[in-house]
Amino acid sequence: MKDQVSLYNKIFISSLVALASYALIKFHNYMDGYEIAILISSIFAFSWLGFSWANFKNFFITIFLLSFLSIFLYQGNLFIAEEDFFLKYFLSSQSAIMWMSALYPLSLIIYWFHLFNSQEFSGRLASGLVWIATTLGTSGLLIRWYESYLINIDIGHIPISNLYEVFVLFCIITALIYMYYEERIGTKKLGAFILVIINIAVGFLLWYSFAKGAHEIQPLVPALQSYWMKIHVPANFIGYGAFAIAAMVSMAYLVVDKGWLTKYLPEKDVLEDMTYRTIAIGFIFFTIATILGAVWAAEAWGGYWSWDPKETWALIVWLNYAAWLHLRLIKGLRGNLLAWWSIIGLFITAFCFLGVNLFLSGLHSYGEL
Amino acid sequence: MSSMRFAITMLSFVGIASIIGTILKQKQPYESYIIKFGQFWFDIFKHLDLFNVYQAIWFLIILVFLITSTSLCVVRNSPSILREYHKFQDQIREKSLRSFKHSYEIKIPIFNKLNLISLLEKNSFKVRQKSNPSGDLLIVAKKGSFQKLGYIFTHLAIIVISAGGLLDGNLILKTQELLGLKEIQTQDIPLSEIPSKSRLNVNNFSYRANVLLSEGEKQDVGVIPSKDGYLIQELPFSIGLKDFNIEHYSSGQPKSYESDLILTSKSTGKTKEQKISVNKPLTFEGVTIYQSDFQDGGTKLKIMVTDLQSNDKPQTMNAEVFKINNLIYMDQSYSFEFDDFRLFNILDIDSSQKKNSQNVGPNFTYKIRNQSGQANEYQTYQMPMKLDGRYFFVSGMRPTPQEDYKFLKMPADAKGSLEGFFIFKNLLLDKKNIERAINKVILSSSSSKAVNTDNLKLSTSKLFRTFQQGGYNAIALSIDKNIPGTEQESAANAYIKIILLVANQILLDYQSTNILAKFFNFEDLPLFTQDALNAYSDSFFYGTPLFLELKEFEHVQASGLQLTKSPGKFWVYLGSIMLVIGIFCMIYIQEVRLWILKKKNSKNILLTLTTNRHHLTFDSYVDEIKNKINALSKKG
Repeated sequence: MKDQVSLYNKIFISSLVALASYALIKFHNYMDGYEIAILISSIFAFSWLGFSWANFKNFFITIFLLSFLSIFLYQGNLFIAEEDFFLKYFLSSQSAIMWMSALYPLSLIIYWFHLFNSQEFSGRLASGLVWIATTLGTSGLLIRWYESYLINIDIGHIPISNLYEVFVLFCIITALIYMYYEERIGTKKLGAFILVIINIAVGFLLWYSFAKGAHEIQPLVPALQSYWMKIHVPANFIGYGAFAIAAMVSMAYLVVDKGWLTKYLPEKDVLEDMTYRTIAIGFIFFTIATILGAVWAAEAWGGYWSWDPKETWALIVWLNYAAWLHLRLIKGLRGNLLAWWSIIGLFITAFCFLGVNLFLSGLHSYGEL
Repeated sequence: MSSMRFAITMLSFVGIASIIGTILKQKQPYESYIIKFGQFWFDIFKHLDLFNVYQAIWFLIILVFLITSTSLCVVRNSPSILREYHKFQDQIREKSLRSFKHSYEIKIPIFNKLNLISLLEKNSFKVRQKSNPSGDLLIVAKKGSFQKLGYIFTHLAIIVISAGGLLDGNLILKTQELLGLKEIQTQDIPLSEIPSKSRLNVNNFSYRANVLLSEGEKQDVGVIPSKDGYLIQELPFSIGLKDFNIEHYSSGQPKSYESDLILTSKSTGKTKEQKISVNKPLTFEGVTIYQSDFQDGGTKLKIMVTDLQSNDKPQTMNAEVFKINNLIYMDQSYSFEFDDFRLFNILDIDSSQKKNSQNVGPNFTYKIRNQSGQANEYQTYQMPMKLDGRYFFVSGMRPTPQEDYKFLKMPADAKGSLEGFFIFKNLLLDKKNIERAINKVILSSSSSKAVNTDNLKLSTSKLFRTFQQGGYNAIALSIDKNIPGTEQESAANAYIKIILLVANQILLDYQSTNILAKFFNFEDLPLFTQDALNAYSDSFFYGTPLFLELKEFEHVQASGLQLTKSPGKFWVYLGSIMLVIGIFCMIYIQEVRLWILKKKNSKNILLTLTTNRHHLTFDSYVDEIKNKINALSKKG
C-alpha cells in the first residue's frame, strides 16, 4: 500500500516536472525571468501540496485533464464553443463556472441535512459535491485563461484581474482551505456553516454575471500587466478565504456556546482551535500579499505605499487580525470575545475586498461595478 | 508608554484616521472641498489637515509614538526573552514537575541514557543533562525556541518598517516649513520666478516629484504637489521626452503607455536613452522614473466656427490645446479656451447590447467665455456616432464641471459630414426660400378647395419666424400665450406637422436643383428633416450659437512621469522580510520543554512536557513522544 502511494507521488511529481518543462521549452519566449521563477516554484508548491494531501493530488490531476480536454475541443477556435456540445454545456469556462455555482448550493443543503442526521453517506456526498464544484470552478478559471488567448493573443492573461474572476477564485480557495481542515479535524459538520459564505459569493457572482454581463473577458489595463499579479492576488485570496472560514467557524462556536446544536456540532475547543488555525494561516498569507502588493506598487506606481484606499483598508484588516492574534497568543485570551471579533473581522475584510471597490475610488479601481 | 494598552490605543487612532482618509477623498483641489462641504466645514477640516491625513503632523506624531512604544516594549522584553532562549531550566524540583498537566511515570526496564538522548535529539530537541550528588539524573530538553525570537522579529520589523516609512515621509520638509525655511508656492508663476524658498535642492534625500513633458520638451526640475500649492525639486539630471506612445487593443482600450526618454546627468554629462512604461520603470542617478500619467501636450487644432442660428459664412481658426483664441463676432467678443484633446474615446453608446464599448474617435474640450466672463464647457466629437440607428455629430455642453454634459446631436448627411445639416440650416434661415416652400406645400395640400390660402400662408410664415427665432420652445411659448388650453395640443401637433412638411419641402427643392451634390438620400429625407429640426431647435439651449467643428489636428502628447528617491524602501523591505519570518516563528513553531527525571534506584522515569501555548495538537504530540520512549525502553 505504502509503495503504491509513493509510486503515485512519484508519478505525480514527475508529470508536474515534465509539464512545467514542456511549458518552459515551448513558451519561454513569452515569459520574463520572474514568470519562469513563478513557474518553477509552482512545481515545488504543488508537489508539496500533493505530497502532503492526497485529495489535492486527485483534484489537481482532474483539473489538468478537464482543462486539456477543453483545450483539445476548442481546437484553437473560440467559436467552436457555440457548436460543440461538451464545450457549450460543460467545459467552456462560463459553463464550468455555472456548474460550480449550481453545485455549491446543493452541497450546502446536503451539509445541513448531514448536520442533523449524521449519516456517513450524506457527509460524503456533500464533500464530494464540494470537490466537484471546486474542480469545475478551477478548471473554469484555467479554461478562461486559455479562452482569453483565443480572443486575441495580446488580450490573454491570468483570469484574476476583475471582480468576477476573483469571486470565482474566492469560492474555490475558500472551499479548498475548508476541505483541508475537514479532513484534518475529521468532521463534516462545519460544512453547513462554511458553505454559507461560499454561497453568498456564488450569489454575488451570478447576479454580477447576469445583471452586469461581467463574465466577459476584458483586456488588461497597463497597470495590471505584471507577473506580480500572479502571486499578489492568489496570496490575498488565501487570506480572505481563511478569514471567511474563521468567521463562520466562530459563528458555529457562538452557536455551541449558546447551548444550541451541541449534539450536532464539534466541541468548543475544536472550533476555537480551528478559528485560530485559519486566522493564523490567513494572517501569514495576507501579510505576504500586502508586502508583495507594496513591492508591486513600488514598481508600477512609484511608491511602495500611497495610502490608496485599498492599501489603507488592507492595513486596517491586518491590524485587526494582528490584535486578535496578540490577544490570543500573548495574553492567552479564549472564548466569546475572540469569536465575535473574528466575525466582525470578516465584515472589515469584506469591506476591504468589496466595499473599497464599491464605495471608494483609488488606484485599485479596476474592479468597479 | 511601553504598555500594550497604550500601543493599542495608538493603533486604534491610526485605524480611525486611516478610515477617514479613505472616505474623504485626499489631496483634491481645495475648491472642490469648498463646493462639497461649504466654507465652514472646509475651514475646520483644513485645520485638522483632513485633506491630507497621512501627511498630517498629528498623524505623524501618532506614528512616532507607536514606534517609541513598540521600541520600549522590545527593549523591555528582549533581555528576558534572550535569556530564556539560552536557558535550560535544570533547577526545577520533582514536585513542580509532577504538578504539570503532562507528567507521566513510565516504567523503564532497561535505562539507556545515550539512546534516550539521541531519541530526543532526533525529535529536534536540544538536550542538557544534569546529575545531582544523590545520583539522580535530570535530562532537560527543549525545542522550538525560535518561537520566542518570533516576538522580537515581528516587533523589530514593525519598528524598521515604520522607520523606513518615516524616512520617506515628509517630516523633514514639514519641519523646514514650520521653521520658515521652505514655503509652498501657491501661485502659478513661471519656473524662473519661483524663489529658492520654494525650491528643494538636488541633495534632498527622499522625494516623489512629478514631471510633465510634452513631446520634444526637456526639463531638469520636478514638481512636488503639496496642499494647495507645490514645491520645485531640482533633479540631478535633465530629462527629455522624445516620443510618447499609447498602444491600443483592437477593442480600443489602452494597452500600454510608453515614453522614450533621454536623460543627461548634470554632474558627469553622461546620457542615456531608454523607453519606460507602466510596470517597467528606470533608475538613473539614484532616482527611479515611472510612467504615471499622460495628457495632451498642446495639440494643434484647425477649427471651423459656424453660427448655427444665422447663415453667416463660417470662419476657420487655428488653435492649440492649453491656449486661448479670441474672436469678435456680431459685436460680441468671445474667448475660446482649449483644454484637452483626446484621440481615442471608448464609449458605451449602444444601450441595446449589454456591453458594447467602442472607440468613437477624437474629441476636444474647451470653454467659451463671453464678455461678462461667464463660460460654458464644451466637449465636441469629430466623428459622427451611431445613435438609434442613425449617425449624429455630437457635442456636449455644461455650465459647470459638476454637471453632466447635455448633448446637441446634429444629423450626419448622406456623405457622413456636417455639411448637409449646415445647408439645411442656411435654407431654413433663408426667408425667400421658406416662402417658396410654404407656397408649394399649401398649394399641394389645399389645391381643391382654395380657402383663404393667403391667410394660411401668412400664419405659416409667422410660425416659421417663431421657429427660426427660438425653435420648438418658442412655438410652445407662443401656443401657451395665444391658444386656449383645450386646443393647445391639437394646435401643437398641427404646427409640428406643418413645420416638418415645409422643412422637408425645402430639402426636396434643394435636392432637385443640386442633383450632383448628393448630401441627402430621398428615402432618408423625412427622418433627416426631423433630426435636423430637433438639432436646430436644441441649439437654443447650447449656450452659444457658435459651433466649433474640428477639421484637422496635429496630435501632440505629454507624458506624466513620477520621479522617486526613496531611501526608506530598503528598510521597509528588510522589515517586511523580518515580519514574515517573525510571524511564521510565532505561529508555526511550538515551543516545547521536556524533562526526564531518573531517580537513582528507580525503575521508572518521570517524563514531563510543557508548552507555552496549548493548541489541540499538543496532546497528540505528547502521546507520540510517550510512545516513542516506551518503545525505546523495551529495546533498551
